[in-house]
Amino acid sequence: MRARLAVAVAFVAGVVATALLARARVAIVLVVCEALFAALAALWVSPTWRAAHPVATRLAQTVMTVDALGVVSAFVSTSVNGNLEAGVSMTIVLLGLSFLTGSSGQISLGHGAFMGVGAFAAAIWANHHAHSPIVIALLAAVVAGAAVGFLLGLPATRLRGPYLAGMTLAFAVAFGSILNAFSSWTGGDSGLQLPTAVSAPRWLVDLLPPSDSPLAAATVWLSQISLVVAGVALFAMSNLFASRVGRSMRLVRDHDVAAELAGVSLPRARVVAFVISAAYAALGGALSTLVNNSVSPATYGFALSITILALMVIGGIGTIPGAMIGGLIFAYSTSSISWITARLGLNPQGNLASQLNGIIFGVLLVGAIVAAPMGIAGAGRQLARRWRERHHLRAN
Amino acid sequence: MQGTVRRRAAALASAGALLMGVVVTAAPSGAAPATPGVTATQVTIGATVPLTGIASQGYSEVAKAANAVFKWVNSHGGINGRKINFILKDDCYGTPGFGCTGNPNTVQLTKELISTPVFATVGSLGTPTQDSVRSLLNSAHVPQLFVNSGSKDWNNARVYPTLYGWQPSYTVESKILGWYINRHLANQRLCFLGQNDDFGANGLLGLKDMRINPVDTIMYDPAGLVTGGAGYFAPFIKKFLSDSCQIVYLDTIPGATDAALASALQLGYHPQWIISSVGSDPVTVAAPFAKAPFPDPEIGALTFTYLPTSTATNPWNAWMRKVLLADKADFPTFTASTPIDGNMAYGEGWGVAFAGYLKAAGRNFTRASFLKVMNSTTLMTPALQPLRYSQTNHQGLTAGYIVKVASATSATVVDPTVYTTSPTAATTLTKVTKLSMTVPAWLH
Amino acid sequence: MNAFLTSRPVSDILTGVTNGVVYALVALSLVLIWRSARLLNFAQGAMAMIATYVGFVAIAPHANYWVAMVVSIVAGCLIGALTERGLVRWLYGKPELNPVVAMVGFLLVLESVAAAIWSTSSRGLPSSFSPIDWQLGGRPLALSPFAAYEIVTALLVMGFIAGLFRFTKLGLRLRAAALAPEVSRLLGVRVNRMLTIGWVLSSGVGAVTAVLVASNYFTGLTPTAMDGVFAFGFIAAAIGGLDSPGGALASGVTLGIVLQFVSDYVNANDVILVALGLLIVSLMVRPNGVFTRDAQRRV
Repeated sequence: MRARLAVAVAFVAGVVATALLARARVAIVLVVCEALFAALAALWVSPTWRAAHPVATRLAQTVMTVDALGVVSAFVSTSVNGNLEAGVSMTIVLLGLSFLTGSSGQISLGHGAFMGVGAFAAAIWANHHAHSPIVIALLAAVVAGAAVGFLLGLPATRLRGPYLAGMTLAFAVAFGSILNAFSSWTGGDSGLQLPTAVSAPRWLVDLLPPSDSPLAAATVWLSQISLVVAGVALFAMSNLFASRVGRSMRLVRDHDVAAELAGVSLPRARVVAFVISAAYAALGGALSTLVNNSVSPATYGFALSITILALMVIGGIGTIPGAMIGGLIFAYSTSSISWITARLGLNPQGNLASQLNGIIFGVLLVGAIVAAPMGIAGAGRQLARRWRERHHLRAN
Repeated sequence: MQGTVRRRAAALASAGALLMGVVVTAAPSGAAPATPGVTATQVTIGATVPLTGIASQGYSEVAKAANAVFKWVNSHGGINGRKINFILKDDCYGTPGFGCTGNPNTVQLTKELISTPVFATVGSLGTPTQDSVRSLLNSAHVPQLFVNSGSKDWNNARVYPTLYGWQPSYTVESKILGWYINRHLANQRLCFLGQNDDFGANGLLGLKDMRINPVDTIMYDPAGLVTGGAGYFAPFIKKFLSDSCQIVYLDTIPGATDAALASALQLGYHPQWIISSVGSDPVTVAAPFAKAPFPDPEIGALTFTYLPTSTATNPWNAWMRKVLLADKADFPTFTASTPIDGNMAYGEGWGVAFAGYLKAAGRNFTRASFLKVMNSTTLMTPALQPLRYSQTNHQGLTAGYIVKVASATSATVVDPTVYTTSPTAATTLTKVTKLSMTVPAWLH
Repeated sequence: MNAFLTSRPVSDILTGVTNGVVYALVALSLVLIWRSARLLNFAQGAMAMIATYVGFVAIAPHANYWVAMVVSIVAGCLIGALTERGLVRWLYGKPELNPVVAMVGFLLVLESVAAAIWSTSSRGLPSSFSPIDWQLGGRPLALSPFAAYEIVTALLVMGFIAGLFRFTKLGLRLRAAALAPEVSRLLGVRVNRMLTIGWVLSSGVGAVTAVLVASNYFTGLTPTAMDGVFAFGFIAAAIGGLDSPGGALASGVTLGIVLQFVSDYVNANDVILVALGLLIVSLMVRPNGVFTRDAQRRV
């Protein structure tokens, strides 16, 4: 009981502080929302409640994560918000790839290209329907991603690991040429700009703390939108992992013959996994188009696909925390590498500094797959379990 | 079980406390200064440029050469009592991989510059990258000056009143080259190879304006060079050979120029090359052929420039050398005999332009008054033609002369007359008689 | 006759064969490893590129072309052995995803390290074969001394590998270890050593390929010089069947010719698209390769 009280107090403190800085007109909305979240959190603390309501538990976890990050994003600098937005889009992509690999055991070296499909689909939609709401552009991207995922998933039904990897690699390499073949739609090498700088809906601006920087008001809301979209994606994925579909996928991965005997259609399961995974990648791409207000084909080259694979393996295959860790690493990779460059006293434009990114990612990727194939999330879980066991023994 | 609950609660409580902390430290800052980026002693400006990555070869020198000008000015007392602080952000041309150590996200870097704050972005490089931040900078009222690209996108004062180009547009350049073709190489068969974006399209437009209809028109995809190498260009050049073109006109970036020259060499095909200034810098183009058992195939090609060639007798050449020699930090290996390549002259060109307008704006200025001064002041800069903008025309330079590649490191002037033309369908050229041939005293 | 030899289709075939033999060598190198280790070596091109740097830049920068080439091939074989003993050994018996990821990571490490040491700018190798096409009656025959050298070298390498497998005891043991490792072990074949030898041979073939690619004046040696060639070589190997060395060679050369015709008669911009299309269609029709006999999948 004391524990629940502590949670409630903490959240109310956060709520009051937020309300003080927000404009009076909307403070009441914020207070009500945060109070609801606090109630959810108080329920979530109880293990019995969590056991009884798995879906609501996942909802509570998602809402709390999004809410905490949302409040933080309103108070941090533009560059931290930029990192947050990049990390959030990447997390969505990683959720998709993680689902494909973790649940159905397939691999894709072409997720950068699927991300590009979404990024371009959203930009093309926005250019042809300047006044349609953002949500529609995001949905268009998801549909486009799912369609391309279906096309490439068809041969995947008959292919095993390395062949499939090679096919997706070929897709990633060819993606630039595909965009060029449709250059009247995709803008060729110049890419596309969104028709007008996406500006914040009025009600959202009111929700944010007042700021003297016009830029902050014009762009902070993008973090909030990204977080909400990511929250929806996260919630859906956490349910999918736990659902019957997720279970049958894992059966396909671990014992495909047994799965067939149990009545799971292997080709169908594989195609479905591919479609869902590609749709997630596309959503991540669309979100980054929205944040960047533009899309360039150069961003979606083969290097990005390899980066995505590395982030998934390093973060942890097939887990939601793994995807979030991967997103975090992506968000801070450039600044960490410039920090390392500075600490080592390297010439930032020199050969070694230019390659540090590739060397570090490559070594981590090889090291993780050899020594810790479940990534940081897996290693963390193992450590936690070990610690808990030891703790438990001592307590007894 | 009870222990788990307590730990979770503790974690949540500390999260709440953290939120409180964030709230307290995020108290609103003091009132903004009158002109963002300008203090009593300093003007802060910024740019996003490819210092590393795919486009960094050659192009990474441009902004550094401009900064050499700013350092020179600062060490001579600054401008109107203020020093210029130039922040460079490496955006790798918006392309990750290929040795990029910057952040290949131009939009995010530009947001960081805006919130620094900078007075203006000056000399940011790239058509797609700068297109992507036009509306962002416009809505934040931050001037976007001297965009390093020949696209037409920078001259649209009605929609983007704070956006300014610098170099002649691709169309103007190809019109002047087209005029030369009509005059000296008339009735020869011409084939055109261009990049499949604004660069190739606008260049072709200029030739068509001069009533030149290429026998073959081919647009290439730079991504093809990455997967196919020089072999990707072979079929294009073969087609030109079998259609017996005597002139091949290239709107290509330097790597693509190399591929075209190599493919023709392999076929034993020696047309008259006419190459846009973007892809013709002799030093850059000659590099891959350094060890080959044949001379640099670019020698003899005709090209265009709006900056003095390194061998021309022009007072700016000596001044530009002096400035680069003084900057030991960014140009440590530059000596009295190193050729000033096209990228260095380019950067020094707009570096002088910004310093000049800052001087003309006086001690007290706002963003609006600075732009007003820009619209009404003609400046002497290293470019051949004096720099001039107006309320409605934000193009910048529009004139240059025809030069011929004479060796692996230099080009010579074919005709010292500097011509200009309008970007419209007019087919006539105008001689520019007033040239920028004096270095203003305040730069000495 | 001259008009025929310099005609468009003949030119396309000649150019296609010149490109195709290089794809075939990459495909052969991939097949050699796949047959023994069931592993698709995504780092094949990068390993070969490093071997070329070692030979031509690190060890013998001023040596004669042929000396440097031999050094590169020896370096390639060593790199192959080290990779097998140091990295791949850890991956046997793991889920098939793991080696794919590990080799992609290894590719990233090798290309970045090469660029960190030797920079990304292109280096010419001192080959003395002219890249300029022979002229027949004032028109270019689509074949230069350099292209002829490429084709002859590739044929020599293919002949060497075929002879090794067909006519030597080592070749017999290699084939036995690859096709029936358990039985071979019982018969006294040292299967582990055969695996290492498979890697050595594959990397040696790779090193020759990379030297050929980098000897071209118009591309030269860069850390990413093998990327494009690897993509086409992989596509050739997958179409031909990763189990079939003959299939890999045939489909490599065929792919070179087909793509050259596409590039000439359709559009050079569409070459990679057509290659992707061919790959998808052939994988859908015959998932184990056009030249592989259907076999029961190993569970």
